[in-house]
Amino acid sequence: MGPGKASQLRSNRFVISARIITMGSACSRKRGQLLVDEEDLYSARFSKSSSFKWLLHTLPRSGSDVHRKVQGPGPGPGRCPSLVELCVAKVREDIGRYSDFSRLPRDLSQQIFNELVEWNSLTEELLGAFRDCALQDICLGDYPGVRDSWMEVVASQGLSLLSVDVSCSDVTDSGLNQLKDCINLQSLTCNYCDQISEHGLKTLSGLSNVTSLSFKKCGAVTAEGAKAFANMVNLGNLDLERCPKIHGGLVHLKGLRKLEKLNLRYCNCITDSDMKHLSDLTNLRELQLSCCKISDLGISYLRGLASLVLLNISRCGIYDEGCEHLEGLVKLKVLNLGFNYITDACLVHLKELVNLECLNLDSCKIGDEGLIHLKGLLQLRTLELSDTEVGSNGLRHLSGLRNLQSVNLSFTLVTDIGLKKLSGLNSLRSLNLDNRQITDNGLAALTCLTGLTHLDLFGARITDAGTNCLKYFKNLQSLEVCGGFITDAGVKNIKDLKALTLLNLSQNGSLTDKSLELISGLTALVSLNLSNSRVSNSGLHHLKPLQNLRSLSLESCKVTAIEIKKLQLAALPNLVSVRPE
Amino acid sequence: MLGKGEAAGQAHLHKDDDGGEQPSGVVKLISAEGFEFVVDKKAAMVSNTLRNMLTSPGGFSETREGEVRFPEISTPILEKICQYFYWSLHYSSGKETSEFQIEPEITLELMMAANYLDT
Repeated sequence: MGPGKASQLRSNRFVISARIITMGSACSRKRGQLLVDEEDLYSARFSKSSSFKWLLHTLPRSGSDVHRKVQGPGPGPGRCPSLVELCVAKVREDIGRYSDFSRLPRDLSQQIFNELVEWNSLTEELLGAFRDCALQDICLGDYPGVRDSWMEVVASQGLSLLSVDVSCSDVTDSGLNQLKDCINLQSLTCNYCDQISEHGLKTLSGLSNVTSLSFKKCGAVTAEGAKAFANMVNLGNLDLERCPKIHGGLVHLKGLRKLEKLNLRYCNCITDSDMKHLSDLTNLRELQLSCCKISDLGISYLRGLASLVLLNISRCGIYDEGCEHLEGLVKLKVLNLGFNYITDACLVHLKELVNLECLNLDSCKIGDEGLIHLKGLLQLRTLELSDTEVGSNGLRHLSGLRNLQSVNLSFTLVTDIGLKKLSGLNSLRSLNLDNRQITDNGLAALTCLTGLTHLDLFGARITDAGTNCLKYFKNLQSLEVCGGFITDAGVKNIKDLKALTLLNLSQNGSLTDKSLELISGLTALVSLNLSNSRVSNSGLHHLKPLQNLRSLSLESCKVTAIEIKKLQLAALPNLVSVRPE
Repeated sequence: MLGKGEAAGQAHLHKDDDGGEQPSGVVKLISAEGFEFVVDKKAAMVSNTLRNMLTSPGGFSETREGEVRFPEISTPILEKICQYFYWSLHYSSGKETSEFQIEPEITLELMMAANYLDT
């Protein structure tokens, strides 16, 4: 097993947590491709004290034995566990019997190690059994209790060690220093390790085989500490998100010609003077600069980065002039310009970026006129126009973009008339119309978009009559209709949307227990929100068939926390997020 | 399953009911101590290592002679592995619901053998 597996594990963990968070935030209006970006921004941080971790640990574990573990979530017998897997699980159960795994083949001790970590069974004492095991991956990110005393065993893996993750740990400089002889290390992740200083960081400078390095929110990354990166000439992936003192440090990245991915999001001390050191990194494919304090001058240093496929410069404070410098970046597929001071005048510079698949103009000063320049971006799949001044007139420029899968028009000036222009976009899967001007008439124009899986009508004025249109959207997985006009009669038109996993009908004050009864057939539901309705304790039993439910919100209803708790214990074991609680 | 020379006629490990027996016949697995375990080919092929040996065209001599020697696997471990083969077949067909029992004393040795047999 190589470092790839370890990083896959990490990303899986993250995906799960991000998903749960999304489901909980029923009122969030920004849901789309760039979700993770937004989540990160508002959800404090992914670290010791964040709520992420709590949700993660309360998720039902894989089960109490390996047999169920390999079955996965669905019904049916599933894959048969291999004998190796059964043995690994058995070792975990009897772990007290073992004190030394070093005579085992490496791949087996690695599997035992991973198993103990996955089950939260690894302790400092047990870790000693893995001394000199020639392990390749030590993935202890977010694992409780990791500190310097663990690092000696980590480092004892010596030249075998390929990847280490000690994110969110209390490891200090002396712990980190132990790794300096593990010169084959390819991947090192020390996110949110607030005990590490620039001295500790500099002890890593000899690790020249590292290809992937991550020090999120690390105070050690300073003009001095960043010297450590200068020798890591094989770096392909560098993540320095949220490093608060990074100003002056980017000069040491100048020679890292193999760098393909650089994340500097939320490094809000980065200024134009830092940016010039990025101008020669011509292999960069992904660059994230969201929330850096850079102006149009700073953007000008990106002009020659012709390999860029992804560029995120949201919330940088850029004006139209800055966008001129993007004209030559024709390989761009993903461009995030959200929350900048750009106007229609800027969009002309995007005209030639014909490979764009994902464009975010959230909260920019964009109106109908500018959209004409997007007409030729035929590869566009995701377009974020939330909180712009786009109105119905502008939408005609989008009607030829047949690859569009996701469009966000929330908080725009779009009215019912404009929606007709979208009716031919057969590829649309996700549409956000959270906007008070939209009514039943607008929805009626969209009934041919039968491929929709996500429809957000949160603030739209949809009535029971309008819900008849919802019947056409048989593939809907998520639906929000919270304008206040839906009654039990309208819910009848929703009850057959069997693919729904998320349903938000909150703010519809007339809904009664009858609605709960109607919803009881939507057994795929993972998240349900009926807050601010007349739903009562006596209707709760209708929810028993919703065995997949993980999040239930019934705030400001005639429902008591104790009755929900009873329901949870008696019938809904997967429920992890409950309101009121 | 039975040890070498215990009886004239060799008893075989069989599945309870065998509907469509694709890989027909049996194969003899021989432990380090020389004990022979005769199992259905179908069961032996739960092990990817054995599957490769038994199915690769004209490759291994094992395929022709119908026996495979394991000089590194002791009798009790090989016996346990044969039990696993059948447990696995039953599990996959949905008939097996009980857990596969592993004695703590043999876990590590069994794991190493299972690793070798890719099962």
